[in-house]
Amino acid sequence: MYININNLSFAYGSKAIISNLSLTINKGDYLVIRGKNGAGKSTFIKCLLGFNPVKSGMILYDEVDVIDFTEWTRFGYVSQSFDDFNYEFPLTVGELLSISSLKNTLESERLKFLEKMGIFEIINQNINSLSGGQLQRVFIVRAMLNKPDVLILDEPTASIDKQNKEFFYSTIEDLHQEGLTIILISHNDDIEYLNYSHILTMYSDLTTSFEERGVEVKEGIL
Amino acid sequence: MFLTFITDLFQQDFMLRALIAGIMLGILAPLLGTFVVVRRLSFIADTLGHFSLVGISVSLFLSSVGITIFFERPLYLGIIFSIVGGLLIELFRRSYTNYKEISMVIVISLGAALSAIFFSLSKKTGSLYNYLFGSILTVTNYYIVLILITAFIVALLFILYGKQILAVSFDETNAKFLGINVNLFQFVFIIMLSIVVSVLLESAGVLLISSMMVIPVAAAMKLGWSYKSTLIISIIFSELSVFFGLWLAYSLRIPSGAAIVSINVIILLAIAISKRLKQKIRISKLDKMQ
Repeated sequence: MYININNLSFAYGSKAIISNLSLTINKGDYLVIRGKNGAGKSTFIKCLLGFNPVKSGMILYDEVDVIDFTEWTRFGYVSQSFDDFNYEFPLTVGELLSISSLKNTLESERLKFLEKMGIFEIINQNINSLSGGQLQRVFIVRAMLNKPDVLILDEPTASIDKQNKEFFYSTIEDLHQEGLTIILISHNDDIEYLNYSHILTMYSDLTTSFEERGVEVKEGIL
Repeated sequence: MFLTFITDLFQQDFMLRALIAGIMLGILAPLLGTFVVVRRLSFIADTLGHFSLVGISVSLFLSSVGITIFFERPLYLGIIFSIVGGLLIELFRRSYTNYKEISMVIVISLGAALSAIFFSLSKKTGSLYNYLFGSILTVTNYYIVLILITAFIVALLFILYGKQILAVSFDETNAKFLGINVNLFQFVFIIMLSIVVSVLLESAGVLLISSMMVIPVAAAMKLGWSYKSTLIISIIFSELSVFFGLWLAYSLRIPSGAAIVSINVIILLAIAISKRLKQKIRISKLDKMQ
């Protein structure tokens, strides 16, 4: 999927968060978004996913405006805190994956992915008994179940330790190698683990820089 | 006394009707109750019940001024008003996204106020008691048909869309990426809930319907290890409450709804206390080992 962001601006009320952001994400790109808290990283992701209505500028998915876009099953999304998810009611990992799968049966390819992510061992465990790292893996698997074209991850390693972090990022790299487009919000500390192709830095003064790895600043500070 | 109850259950028509209505109530209430609890909308049945009561009070008011079209079946207007109440909840919920309970307080207050006004205007406040507390022992054949049709429709909807309703209930944000039209499912769910609450009103009553939906689920959550097991346990608790509640109501001549809810609460307390005791015993064993 080809994603074109053109002069995107966004504000919560009178507080501007994003100003005139333009960039292009091609199929198979691995884009890392970094910046301090409040720089607008999550707000940008919410615009991309249609949660924040775009009033100024444009986001195009294969030439279709985000406002008219309906094929959201082409996206996999792992949010920062899963605040919307109800953890307290009993639900096993298997049940979660079953209700999150568009088809009733899991194909062998998807079963292999579950095995690779170490989900089989915890398939009958209650979601609320999992550690932060296990939970993260489960949500990645959920996002990947329906074979999306683009995987969006909002600070996915916020609640996992260093060892799990390395495993997590190597899994993301494998998915990228298989041709998946990755958009990942990351802490600066995590950059060393990432084999990204592009990096977008967002600053608190609404400026941004967009660079291709190994290439001089492409669009400069806008 | 128990044997007389069992004999009468199958020999007396009104008891058999109560048993059938009770079995349906015992399945429908916790089935929808699990979704209501997952979505943290435990007060919604109470709210819809109050708005359904508006429909019933309007029916009585209309018949008092000579419009008798709904006199025989006030439940019809009850269902319509319950749906209106459900839609109002959704409307207010979107204005107060992080304060879902505010929408219910607004609708429940409006429902209570309008019911009081129309009951008063109809001069039939005496019938209010039955609608507030319900009476499963006085249900008619017509009601049995109605509750069976309702159960059939609910079962059909769950067979067709259960997975989607569960996905939206557990994680509204992610449902979009499963290709689910979240707004449509919210709409279908609220209409289904409104109809079920209105139908159950006659047997369970406005004030007790919510407890019949939520308490068996709350008890089952303490024992369940998965969604499926929690649902099955909650239905078992609910059916046990209906059966023993009917027995108590029949034997002691007390309101059936109150008896059923009391048994529900006793089960919940017994489980909560036994779990606590079990935990304490385990901790003391660990302390001794150290």
